[in-house]
Amino acid sequence: MARLLQFFSILSLGALFCGVCGAQDLHAPSNVTAGEDVALPTSGSGKATFYLAGPGISQKNDVTLGEEIRLSGQDLRYAGDYTAILCSDTCHTATFYVTAAKPASVIFLVHPSRVPVGQNDAVSGVAFPFDQYRNLITVPENVNFQLSAKDASLWSRSIRTQNGVAWFRANSGKSAGPVQAVASLDDLSAKRAVQQVASDPCNLRITGQRTPNGILVQTEPVHDCAGNVVPDGTIVTFTATGPNGKGTVDAPVKQGIARAKIESPGTSVISVASGVVMGNEIRLGAQP
Amino acid sequence: MTRQVLKKGIKRGIHFLAAVCFLFIATAFSSYAADGTVQVQLDVKKAGPRAVESLTERGVLRDYQFAWTNMARAFEFSSPDLLEGAFSGDAKQELRQTVSSQQRSHITRRYVDQSHQVEAVFYAPEGDVMELHDTAQYQLQILDGDKTVHDEHVVVHYIVLMTPAADRWVIRELQAVPQF
Repeated sequence: MARLLQFFSILSLGALFCGVCGAQDLHAPSNVTAGEDVALPTSGSGKATFYLAGPGISQKNDVTLGEEIRLSGQDLRYAGDYTAILCSDTCHTATFYVTAAKPASVIFLVHPSRVPVGQNDAVSGVAFPFDQYRNLITVPENVNFQLSAKDASLWSRSIRTQNGVAWFRANSGKSAGPVQAVASLDDLSAKRAVQQVASDPCNLRITGQRTPNGILVQTEPVHDCAGNVVPDGTIVTFTATGPNGKGTVDAPVKQGIARAKIESPGTSVISVASGVVMGNEIRLGAQP
Repeated sequence: MTRQVLKKGIKRGIHFLAAVCFLFIATAFSSYAADGTVQVQLDVKKAGPRAVESLTERGVLRDYQFAWTNMARAFEFSSPDLLEGAFSGDAKQELRQTVSSQQRSHITRRYVDQSHQVEAVFYAPEGDVMELHDTAQYQLQILDGDKTVHDEHVVVHYIVLMTPAADRWVIRELQAVPQF
């Protein structure tokens, strides 16, 4: 029994020794960060051909076995999987991954560029952290999102990236005007602008008077329900109903007020609407 | 005399038709082969916060498959023009660099028998970016000229960012990771 054990021990040692001293071998690094120099130890003796295939690189070099193969950080700047091959009599392969370096920029997408005030979940943003070589950083990072208007913070939240992305959805504010959206990660930040505009008109009111050529009607300054003046170009529809039937005129808001001239000689009832919002009605007597 | 001319004309017509048929069949076969070698299965059930419409799902599946087909051909024939249309931004730049590096070293790669299990894990609220996780399996062959120096069946995990372009989805980021 002891002799049998001795025989197997010698056999194992011999096999191990021959494995080490025999053919060439290549050792892959376990952890490589993008842009870092790396040395791959080799074993064996004599000349060999070394190949490296990975993202952004396909190279071939003559190397001496037993010496380290040095790879520059420039060759390993893209995150991903790399295949290193060492060929002498036979080929040996080692694969390794390069992971993204530390954050160097934040890609920040914000929608929409114009948003009506007082809308739920109307503003959304998505942020992706990247390293200096434009590799997506997939390890979780905290991204701080902030919405502010005139130096006053409207909303802020810290969100951890998941699979390399952090996102938010927020309500629009109460006041019309520019809002700044910022995504920051450590000392990096990306800024975007969102223009908050008045929402639908509210309390639409008109006045009117007869003129020699017809009826001149105009709105009072058109505001939304939060008191913001609606943007120029908002269409207001005036409708005149008289003895000759119904006539409609569309007029854009200019500097907060919409005006229209309507030809309706008889007694007329004028109504006003903008979108789905109705305003007051006025009655004007017939043309004298 | 007139009959002979007529016979010749008919013969030529038949030859022309045969040639057209042959070209048509050859083209159909080659497109089938190109599609057949890249198997893609897309699961969009876990995508959020925006739900993926079925039309979008079909478009992403089609364009992702197209991208891998073209990328494999670009690497096999060291032809950077094949990357046009399917890739954009950083992904395109990196892949073009790989191909030009191949051209210098005369090394080519082949991705044979590709199979992709793709899961959409993020779809932006406004639908302007989608993140996919692809567990890809293929036979990776690396050739130095005509000599194969590496031939191995590999399973690689890719994180992919796709964005909609005018008429298709394009890959903006294609990054292999050790695991999801």
